[in-house]
Amino acid sequence: MADSQRFPLRIVDGLRLDKPLRDALMPARIVLDEAGRERMLPRFFYEIQSWTQATEIRLAPGFALAEFIQTDVREAAPLRGFPRYIPCAITMMALCLERFREVVGTFVHIAANGGYRSPRHAAGTTASPHSWGTAVNIYRIGDVYLDSRDAVERYAALARQELPSVWTRPYGTHRGQTTDHLHLDFGYVVSTPREAPERHLEFDVERRAS
Amino acid sequence: MDALHAKLDALERSSGARALAVAVYDTDTHASFRRDADRWFHAASTIKVAILLGVYASIHHGWLLPHSRVHVRNRFFSAADGSTFRVLADRDGNSELYAAIGKTMRVDQLALHMIATSSNLATNLLLDLVGLETVQRTLDELHVDGIDVTRGVEDERAFEHGIINRVTADGLVQLLRLVAEERAFSPELSHEMLEILHAQEFKRGIPARLPGAVRVAHKTGEISTIAHDAGVVYPPDRKPYVIAVLTEWSPEATGRSATIAEVSHEVFELLTHHDNSGHDNGAENG
Repeated sequence: MADSQRFPLRIVDGLRLDKPLRDALMPARIVLDEAGRERMLPRFFYEIQSWTQATEIRLAPGFALAEFIQTDVREAAPLRGFPRYIPCAITMMALCLERFREVVGTFVHIAANGGYRSPRHAAGTTASPHSWGTAVNIYRIGDVYLDSRDAVERYAALARQELPSVWTRPYGTHRGQTTDHLHLDFGYVVSTPREAPERHLEFDVERRAS
Repeated sequence: MDALHAKLDALERSSGARALAVAVYDTDTHASFRRDADRWFHAASTIKVAILLGVYASIHHGWLLPHSRVHVRNRFFSAADGSTFRVLADRDGNSELYAAIGKTMRVDQLALHMIATSSNLATNLLLDLVGLETVQRTLDELHVDGIDVTRGVEDERAFEHGIINRVTADGLVQLLRLVAEERAFSPELSHEMLEILHAQEFKRGIPARLPGAVRVAHKTGEISTIAHDAGVVYPPDRKPYVIAVLTEWSPEATGRSATIAEVSHEVFELLTHHDNSGHDNGAENG
């Protein structure tokens, strides 16, 4: 592949980042999900140099990288500036969203804090697929704000119909439910591109050797 | 000062107000005036001054920056039972903020909307961000008595459970004195808060009958049975004075703003007449 065709973001090993970033990203660390099950966080990340770069890079025809990294002051301080880091699975998330965009036939808007957010983001209490880069909160589709049961459930059904294995958060006012966005996620998917500097975690290598 | 008491007694009777409380502190002469100033009222939107103080406390402590970005989201948790509620757009009157739902706005922009147009959405976003505890702890640390912050605005479920934000005229004057005298964290932060209060767009209360050259940094508050206004008044060529006018009414009553404007006018005349004539205005020394 010619250099000009390569994906422009450098892949970094989260375990080799500076300590403040490691503390925020928690690469390859085990965390518990809502059901108390252990989940391993991503280890490899794309490095984003600037907001300009994030707006220029399109992960899919309808989605710029910037749309997945807009967080607020609740994000861990080391991740509010640049360079920023985002799990490599974000590219697959964008492709799935692009398919969803084709189905709905209009713009799909991701909410602030609704794309990637780190495990240290103040919004999270347990492992959220948002920290894998495999979840989005959509607050608006075309001119429709997803703030009613009808709108959220209609588009959730459409997403489940068109996107195999997608999970949608139910509408409602209780814990684990939503009233003002459509949450889509593909679970705790980890992506390790071929260019990743190390292909296996240390304990995997040890297991294969034994 | 007896004359002012008499005028306010008469005004309370003639206006039909159920209650009229006034507190004044003159930073020029250190004189003060109090009329039922320790009576508790539903705070209505005057509580937003306390929330502004809590936001700037967070800035002072380095937890926030004025340009920190905040997710604009219309979903809040009731202080009564944790259930979710929304702020109704047609009761807010700030379309700019609703257009930003799903996006982010800066803390200082939200603070301006909270005060200048009294945006309930901005208020709840900021309170959600800094927390009730921060606001009340800040008031306690600055020794402001007479302000109870217990919930966000438009929290109907909390209201049904008797959870309300309360203020006294004394409490609001204590708080605004801190800002006016630049003792709220630092002169710079006090100045920033004052600038926000100067941007107030509702001017039918304290400023309404004052000369045009008089600047007022203030916050109004009005619900069905309540009309308040509290602020810092800056007459030309004179140090400012701080005033809070709190009133309670029957739901069908009219003339609320006019009554507050009349109180403000009487206080202005008393304090500036003293300046012009050189006569003692008889106010109690604070």
